[in-house]
Amino acid sequence: MFEVRSRWKKVVLQVVLTLLVLPYLFPLVVMVQGSLAGAGVSNFRAVVDVPGFWRFFVNSGIIAASVIAIVYVVAMLASYGFAKLRIFGREVYFWILLACLTLPEVVLLAPLFTTDQKLNLYNTYWSVLLPLAALQVPFAVLLTRNFINGLPDELFEAFRVDGAGTVRTFRNLVVPLTRPIAAAVIIFSLIGAWNDYLMPLVFLQSPNMQTITLVPQFFVGEFNNDQTKILASALITAIPEIVAYLGLQRLFERGLTAGAVK
Amino acid sequence: MPQVATGGNPKGAQTSSPGRRWRPARAWHPKVPGVPGATSGRRGVKIASGIPWIMPALVLCVGLVYYCIGYTGLISTWSWDGISPNPEHVGAGNYSAIVHDPLFWGAVWHTLIFFAVTFTIQTFLGLLFAVLLHSKVKLAGIYKVVIFTPVVLAPAIMAPVFREMFSPTGQLNSVLHAIGLGVLEQPWIGQTSTALPAIMAITIWEFTGFTFVLYYAALSQIDNAIIEAARLDGAGNLRVITRIVWPNVAGTTFALATLGLIGALKTFDIPWLVTSAGPDYATNFLGTYIYQQIIQLDHVGYGAALSVILLVIAVIFGVVLQLWRNRRADH
Repeated sequence: MFEVRSRWKKVVLQVVLTLLVLPYLFPLVVMVQGSLAGAGVSNFRAVVDVPGFWRFFVNSGIIAASVIAIVYVVAMLASYGFAKLRIFGREVYFWILLACLTLPEVVLLAPLFTTDQKLNLYNTYWSVLLPLAALQVPFAVLLTRNFINGLPDELFEAFRVDGAGTVRTFRNLVVPLTRPIAAAVIIFSLIGAWNDYLMPLVFLQSPNMQTITLVPQFFVGEFNNDQTKILASALITAIPEIVAYLGLQRLFERGLTAGAVK
Repeated sequence: MPQVATGGNPKGAQTSSPGRRWRPARAWHPKVPGVPGATSGRRGVKIASGIPWIMPALVLCVGLVYYCIGYTGLISTWSWDGISPNPEHVGAGNYSAIVHDPLFWGAVWHTLIFFAVTFTIQTFLGLLFAVLLHSKVKLAGIYKVVIFTPVVLAPAIMAPVFREMFSPTGQLNSVLHAIGLGVLEQPWIGQTSTALPAIMAITIWEFTGFTFVLYYAALSQIDNAIIEAARLDGAGNLRVITRIVWPNVAGTTFALATLGLIGALKTFDIPWLVTSAGPDYATNFLGTYIYQQIIQLDHVGYGAALSVILLVIAVIFGVVLQLWRNRRADH
């Protein structure tokens, strides 16, 4: 895009880019450096040795995996229905779903809080993963419906003519062909569930149920506000995300931006 | 044309059992050119109802979200602490109190200014990075990773890092001191004048990568021939960007604006964890205000009314987004 001919200008371009990127690196450097301050590497040991530290990861894993499973199954079924099957008043149902798209989760606080207590769901995984899944489904349906719409009708007709029922069509045609968009759905559900803070904050009270986003707060109490240990805990909780991103770079970039590019 | 439609070698034809052959034969060649009624095969087999397929999604979303919205609406007419069995019904009382609540208007104002500033700077930086990384620079992959990594990190996990960084003895002030800008040192998140800008800076750090990736993808779509032609006509870099690149990514910009607006309305994690919505409510947003009212102050009715207002604003923007998306799809 930017065209520079002379070698000198190329160097200038590179330097400008580097200077612009440095602020993005800075907080990450602060995190690493801060976590090594004071007691050095033993900060990490102290964090890891706290009983139940890995429990946060297990909880986040369980919640994220469940949200992904629910969102994937529910959204796939619905998008197949919306895109290729006969539904009277199709767009009405679709808009009912889409209206949830913009919903800030904080709006759900008051009713969920009272309902969870009535149904004894308070402080269970369900109290977090059900609302998270419900908030992710509309966007997943939007994405996958658009994708399935783009599949040629003739494929579906061939299956129908062949006597294949909707279940077989779904299993043998929809599921294999939607893999590219399924990857996007899985990634954004993962990020949404893994990074969510408000729902676990409000609905998971006992530390053995809590997720990794509550780790910093847990350690503020645990280590008497010792910043180095808190930063060490932040770094340890950030590592899986960074590794996952670096390993699946393309999937992450596509998954998180799939909604905005057609 | 997909291979099945040609009728030449449909996969289904080979695998079908003889017992199913009674279905209309012409469906095998539904689109043979010149054959009258060639497309009627489509009507040969009735398409199944999709209602059972969309049911799980509807049950989950309507059952949970709409139930909650209805319940919130109901609670918003009560004066309630969340526990007492007999809440006092106050009708629209909460709403009229909100209209006269300076903290509510403060939160709305913060949301608007937060959106305006973060969106403008992210757009500028995101597009700039996209253009620079589309040019011939070295190590483009590494720059890309550095810019995008913040997008995948949980704000809640980064919050303690930013508290540390922006503290009076933090790394930001050290760096300013080291590069001779010691006069700029200040308690960034400890005073009302700089707390909101600090929150904005964190958000920009967090989401520029998202803006960048979208623009990066959009730039790949621009036909290089147009740019070449402009260059031959003597257009410089700046002119190419303002006259060709910018208009060509207008769709992306609009999408980012709408997503940014909805994101601004949802803002909670960063102001809550970094500045606790303070000092003196300087970084109070609708999300943090609702949380405070419902969870901390037990003003559940008032918080519910705030939620309804937030919901109405969000839905209005959501509808705008959808209308725009549909219009764009038609083109």
